[in-house]
Amino acid sequence: MTFEVKIKKWHAVASWTWNAGDDVCGICRMPFDGCPPDGKFPGDDSPVVWGICTHAFHLQCINRWLQSQTEQKCPFCRRQWEFKQAVVGGEDSDS
Amino acid sequence: MPLDLGRVQKEIRDIERDKASGVTIEIQGNSLQKLIGRLNGPRDTPFDGGVFYVDIQLDDQYPFVPPKMRFITKVWHPNISSANGAICLDILKDQWSPALTLKTALLSLQALLSSPQPDDPQDAVVARQYLSSLAEYQSTAKQWTQTYAHAQQVVGLEAKVQAIAEMGFGREQALEALRRANGDEQQAMEFLLGA
Repeated sequence: MTFEVKIKKWHAVASWTWNAGDDVCGICRMPFDGCPPDGKFPGDDSPVVWGICTHAFHLQCINRWLQSQTEQKCPFCRRQWEFKQAVVGGEDSDS
Repeated sequence: MPLDLGRVQKEIRDIERDKASGVTIEIQGNSLQKLIGRLNGPRDTPFDGGVFYVDIQLDDQYPFVPPKMRFITKVWHPNISSANGAICLDILKDQWSPALTLKTALLSLQALLSSPQPDDPQDAVVARQYLSSLAEYQSTAKQWTQTYAHAQQVVGLEAKVQAIAEMGFGREQALEALRRANGDEQQAMEFLLGA
């Protein structure tokens, strides 16, 4: 006995998350998948960035910190802060 | 930009949840910019058994600038002013990082009580005594702990500060006078009026 199923319509549902190891930003303590305090929308409007030291923050948060400092250091490890270049089309393996 | 209240609220909740850390925090008034931290004197030091209160003020720029912290309780320690409670600690100055929190800062104060740094003093008199006669330093510090660092010292402190402020004095001034008077409102008023 077999059924024949005709699909009339369907809704695609996708979920996304930043591939960041810690679930909250170490500066604002808000989830990476949420917004920093001055952000309005999660996702592309509140991007997460990595330093070459592998620590991640909301872009707005780390920028505000670096702008307030003469020395550009990672808030966690105090190493010289340099933005890690995004790997286009590849999986970012940092965690 | 106003103070990041979300982060401060989270920090306060986190301190409340963590009963093991030995530090607590209390909100003063109805803004989150004035807080009082409390820490226990570390064991095997002259501060053992004491309860130490710290006045905390958060700037609008916090956590991008360090919290302003000052001991309310009188302390005899090379890196803490015996006169006004000012603290010399690098993470409260140029070594601050927004990854640090009120809890880690209070824990650092506890660590500072355990390991004085007399080469970078806030109170030169105490530092000199520490270097020239350690036993004398320890005995003075212990005596100050017994005299000033008991648990009841800040009961109703904010009410007293408010009462004095209503007489036309600034909050800082009121706190300073209460500190000198060891919490006695009457005596604090006399200091202020006599000054």
